[in-house]
Amino acid sequence: MLGFVIQRFLQAVVVMAVMSVIVFCGVYAIGNPVDIVIPPDATQDIRAATIAKLGLDKPLWEQYFLFVGNLLQGDFGRSFVYNIPVLDLIGGRLPATLELVLTSVLTATVLGVSLGIYAGYRPDGWLAKTIMAVSVLGFSVPSFWVGLILILTFAVNLGWLPAGGRGATVTVLGVPWSFLTLDGLSHIVLPAINLALFKLAMMIRLARAGTREIMLTDTIKFARAAGISESVILRRHLLKLISIPIITVFGLELGSTLAFAVVTETIFSWPGVGKLIIDSIAVLDRPVMVAYLILVAFLFVTINFTVDLVFALIDPRVRAGARA
Amino acid sequence: MKHMALLRPAAVALGMLAAGAASAQTLTMGVRGGPESLDPHFSALGSHAEAAKHIFDTLVWSGDDLQIEPGLAVSWEPVDEDTWEFKLREGVKFHDGSDFDAEDVKFSIERIPVVSGPTTTTIYVRRVKEVEIVDPLTMLIHTDGPAATLPYDFVRLFIVSSEAAADYSTPETAAEGFNSGMATIGTGPYKFVSWEPKGDLVLERFDDYWRGAGAWEKVIRKEMPNDSSRLAALKAGQVDVINYVSSVDYLALERDSSVDTIKGDSVYIMNLQLDQREDTPLVRAKDGSKLDANPFRDIKVREAIDAAIDRDTMVEIVLEGLGKPANQMMPVGFFGSNADIPMPEYNPAKAKDLLTEAGYPDGFEVDLYCTSDRLPGDGAICQGLGQMFSQIGITTNVNAVSKTVYFPAQSRLEYSMFMNGWGTLTGEASYTLGGLAHSNDPDVKLGAFNRIEYKNEDVDRLLEEGATMLDADQRRATYEEAMAKVMADKAYISVVQLQTVWAAKAGMLAFTPRFDEDTLAFFIKPAS
Repeated sequence: MLGFVIQRFLQAVVVMAVMSVIVFCGVYAIGNPVDIVIPPDATQDIRAATIAKLGLDKPLWEQYFLFVGNLLQGDFGRSFVYNIPVLDLIGGRLPATLELVLTSVLTATVLGVSLGIYAGYRPDGWLAKTIMAVSVLGFSVPSFWVGLILILTFAVNLGWLPAGGRGATVTVLGVPWSFLTLDGLSHIVLPAINLALFKLAMMIRLARAGTREIMLTDTIKFARAAGISESVILRRHLLKLISIPIITVFGLELGSTLAFAVVTETIFSWPGVGKLIIDSIAVLDRPVMVAYLILVAFLFVTINFTVDLVFALIDPRVRAGARA
Repeated sequence: MKHMALLRPAAVALGMLAAGAASAQTLTMGVRGGPESLDPHFSALGSHAEAAKHIFDTLVWSGDDLQIEPGLAVSWEPVDEDTWEFKLREGVKFHDGSDFDAEDVKFSIERIPVVSGPTTTTIYVRRVKEVEIVDPLTMLIHTDGPAATLPYDFVRLFIVSSEAAADYSTPETAAEGFNSGMATIGTGPYKFVSWEPKGDLVLERFDDYWRGAGAWEKVIRKEMPNDSSRLAALKAGQVDVINYVSSVDYLALERDSSVDTIKGDSVYIMNLQLDQREDTPLVRAKDGSKLDANPFRDIKVREAIDAAIDRDTMVEIVLEGLGKPANQMMPVGFFGSNADIPMPEYNPAKAKDLLTEAGYPDGFEVDLYCTSDRLPGDGAICQGLGQMFSQIGITTNVNAVSKTVYFPAQSRLEYSMFMNGWGTLTGEASYTLGGLAHSNDPDVKLGAFNRIEYKNEDVDRLLEEGATMLDADQRRATYEEAMAKVMADKAYISVVQLQTVWAAKAGMLAFTPRFDEDTLAFFIKPAS
C-alpha cells in the first residue's frame, strides 16, 4: 500500500512540474501581459518600468526558476491584476465553487443512480422509457443554452428564483457558506440544476447499463433462488456491483466540475474559481493561471487516488486482486 | 414584475419599515467590469476608476462631456513655464471625519509610482517633478518642463487620506489595507462597506459629502461580465440599472415597456491602421508572390481604402444603429478635434480607379487583424471592412482575434492592416495624437502606441509644440491643425464612433450618460 501511495505521489509531482512548464511557456508565447493591460497613454519609459516591476524583462528560464523557487517555499506569487497573493484569491472563491459543485454532483449522482437502476430493472415500463428519453436531452442540449432558458423561465418570467449571483452567506469556521441561508439556497437552485443536468443524464445511463448487465448474472439468480427479497438484492448486491464505473465517473466529474464550471458560473454570475480563471486568461494573469492549473492537477491526482482506495473498500474482487 | 417582491424579503421589510415611502433607498447596479483592488492608485483601468469614484474624489473633475471642472481643487493656473498652482477646496471631510488638505494631495501623488500595478497609474503623475505645499489649501506642482495638459492628467488623480493610508503604501501592503477597508477612507459620496474581487462592492452614503449627500442610502455594485446574465438580472428585478446593453438586446428592449434604455455617445472610435514600413509582413500579390513595395505607403492606395468604406452601412447594419460615422480619431467637440474635416465619401468606383492609378489594377491580398472581444461590435465591423475592401479588389482575410493575442502581436509590429478602438479618455487631443500620431520617439516620450511607424515631420513638430503650450487657445489651434494633417494622410482611418446603452427599470431613475461610460451612483437620481 505504501509503495502505491509513494508511486502516486511521484506521479503527481511530475504531472504538476510538466503542467507548470507548459503553462509558463504557453502564456509567454501568447505575448507580454503588459501589452494588454498597460494604459494607452503610457510612454515608452513607463512601459519599460512596468515590465521590469513585474519581472517580465528577465529571460523566461530565469522567470520560471524564480517562480519554482518561491513555490517550494509555499509562495505561489501575487496576481498581476489584483496584487493579492494568488492563494488568497483562489481560496476566497473556492467555497462558492465547492458548494455549487457538491450540490450538483451529489444530487445528480443520488438521483441519477436511483433513476438509472429503476430504468434498468424495469426496462420496458413507460416510466423507464421516459427517463431514458429525458436523459438523452440532458446529453444533447448545450448547457449554456439550458442556463439561459432556466433564467428566462424561473427568474425573468415566473420571478420565483434569482437570476444570478450568490445569496446571503453565513460564516462557519471562517468560511462564508451560502447554502445555510434561505436566500443562499434560492440562489443556488438554478445554477445547480444547470450544472447537474449533464451529470444526471450520464449517471442514469451508467446505472441503467450496469443494472441490466448484473441482473442477468448468476449472482442475482442465486440470490433470488435463496429467497432473498428483491429490495435487498438491489441494495446489497446490485448496487455494489455497479458502483465501480459510477465511482470512477463521479470522481472525474467532481474534479472537472470543480475546475471548469466556467460556463455555468459565467451565466449565473456565480463568484467561483471557474470565472476567475477565465478572467485571468483574458488578461494573461500568469501567476493565477499557473497556480490554478497546478492546483487542478493536484486535485485530479488526489481524486483519482481516493477513487482507487474507495474501490478497494467497496468491491471485494478488487481487494482480492490486490492481495494476490 | 409583480413577483419581484417575493425575491427580496429584505427589500420588502425595508419598504414596510419606511412606511410606504415611495422611493427605494438602495441602488443596485449590474456592471460589466469592476475594480481590481480598492486601492484607487493600483490600476488605470476604466472600470477600476469608475468604482473608485464612488469612494474617492479626484483633484480635477471630468464632467459628463469630459470637460474639466473643479473637483477637490477649485482652481488652477500655470505660474511659470514649469509650475502649476492649485487651490484646494475648503471644508472637505474624509469619511473618518478628518479634514482634507494639501498634505493628502502630496501624499497621493507620491504614493502612485510605488503602488501602481501593470495597468499603471503613473501616467497621471508622470510630469510631476516635485510637490510643494504653500499652505494647507495651496500647492505648487513643479513639472519636468512645460506640462500643458497637467489638469487633464489629474482627472484620475484620486486623493486618499494621508493618515489612513500611511501604513498601506507599499506594493505588499496596499491591497491588504484597501481591500479590507482600513485604508479605504476617501472624500467621495459613498463609504466603503465590503468588497469581493469580481464580486459585489457594497457602499454606504457619506452624509457629509461636499457636493451634498447622495440620493441612495446604500449602493451595491454587482460585477456581471456576461451581457445576457446582466440583462436577465435587470428583468428579474435583482438589479436596478445595468451598463453595456448589447446592440441585439437594445433592439428588443426598445419595445419593452418595463425597461428604460438610455443611449449615450462613447469616447471609443474604431481606427483602421495601415503599416507604413518599407517592408510589411502580411501583404502580397493575389498569386501569393511578394509585392515590390508596401502598397500602404502610397497615398492613392490609402485613399482608395478610405473611399471603399461605407460608414453609413457600418452604423445601420453592422452596429444596429448604435454608432456614428467617424472622420477623425476623437469625437468632434473634444479639445483639439477639428470640425472642418469633411466626412469621407463612400465611392467604390473611385476607389478602384485610385488603385489602378497606384499600379494595382487587380488589387492585392492582405490579412486584416482586429480585436473580437474588447468593444461592442469590433469583430463585426472587421468583417464588414473585409467585405468592403474585397469589393474594390483587395482580397482581405479577416482575422478577428482575442485582445490577448491582438495587443501583444500589435506591439511586436506583426500586422500590416489592423483595427482596434481608441478612447480619448481625457477628452483632449494630446492623449490621442501624442500616443498614436507622433513618430515613436522615447526621447520626447511621444508615439508610444504608434504601431505603424507613421511619421509626418509637420505633425511631429506640431505635437511637440502643442505639448508645451500653456495658452489653451493656441494649443487648441495647434492640435486642430495636427488632427487635420493626420487624417489627410489616411494612415489612420477612423471608421465609426461607438455608442453605449444603459438600461434601467422603467420610470425609476433619472440618468445622464457620460462620455467615458462611467456609471456613477451619486449622479443617478430617483425619478421624481
